[in-house]
Amino acid sequence: MQCTDACVFPYPGGDSSLRRMALSARELGFDSIVAACPANGTYCGVEVIGMKVMGRTGAGAKEVSHAEPGQEGRAITVAHAGEYAANRALLRTGKIMVLRGIQWTPKNSFDHILSRMAAERGIAVDIDFSSLICERGSSRQRVIQRYADIVRLHRKFGFSLTLSSGARSVLGMRSPREMTVLGGLFGLEEDDTGRALGTVRQLLFPRSPVEVVE
Amino acid sequence: MKPLPPTLRENRRYVLVRIEPPWFETDSRTLYGALAESVTALFGDTGMARIQPAVISASRGYAIVRCIRSTEDELLAGLAAVHHVGSQKVALRSVRTSGTLRALRSTIREGRFCPAMETGEARFGGKTYESVSYQLEKVDLFEKGFKSQEPLFLTAEDLEE
Repeated sequence: MQCTDACVFPYPGGDSSLRRMALSARELGFDSIVAACPANGTYCGVEVIGMKVMGRTGAGAKEVSHAEPGQEGRAITVAHAGEYAANRALLRTGKIMVLRGIQWTPKNSFDHILSRMAAERGIAVDIDFSSLICERGSSRQRVIQRYADIVRLHRKFGFSLTLSSGARSVLGMRSPREMTVLGGLFGLEEDDTGRALGTVRQLLFPRSPVEVVE
Repeated sequence: MKPLPPTLRENRRYVLVRIEPPWFETDSRTLYGALAESVTALFGDTGMARIQPAVISASRGYAIVRCIRSTEDELLAGLAAVHHVGSQKVALRSVRTSGTLRALRSTIREGRFCPAMETGEARFGGKTYESVSYQLEKVDLFEKGFKSQEPLFLTAEDLEE
């Protein structure tokens, strides 16, 4: 089974180098990580996949629809979720692979219509465990509520989920087993967690119908 | 007062936890404080009463934590949600769950929970740091004179570049 941590922030965004994060990922049981840096390659036996961020956090719908991914090459194209119109524009462009940060958006910013659109266009929604781990009180309760909503929509409409530790340090990385028990807090079952850990691979190498080459 | 017979006692599970970074030293009481705060924040007071977490022992690199049987997943979630012990950023990684302490102690004897560490100096990014190296590749850097500052986590290969 492919296991990918869908977002980590190595040095200088965090306090751990990319190699050290790859080493920790190997110890934790991942075979690849998506890193918020331009580097691609294999470190310590762990494949490092780059991440391209489209647009900026909180961008409006018009800005989003005209935005382009930053660079070419094999990488996961990510966009930060915003208000309903921005999310709809992002999903409609079809240029993104993963929608992140949905836990910080208003409750009505991702509904059944956008869920269906995400499922049809093969766009995944990210669940970031760092906001669950580091937040306390009402903001953590809000994160759990939002993730429970996302899981419920995921079950009904079948869009993909990705799981990320969102770690800025090796100490913030969590193993697949830890992600499973943390996912249980908002209703994500073990099978769903297993599938979500393999989503990044499916986004990079989508299954297509068999073509007969003569 | 007669002790409860074994058949009437509640069954418990013991979890072996690896503490990262391995150079961080803590005691059972401090670790329990962090764990209790995390479990209470996640499951509330009733959850805390149901799980009954307790730190049996804590040493450099590992700890043994106890809970009531069938609440292991909740305890693991509580452990995974711990990110600080005192003012130090840490990660508590569950390694093994068992019904007896003996099994975990044998795992501790076999495992590498207290790796040999070498201290020295290293240059990174034009600055000189105090370094702690362990497990061949791992190097943690501390800026000289600022012990309370967050360390940098690198590998030996990063320093060679």
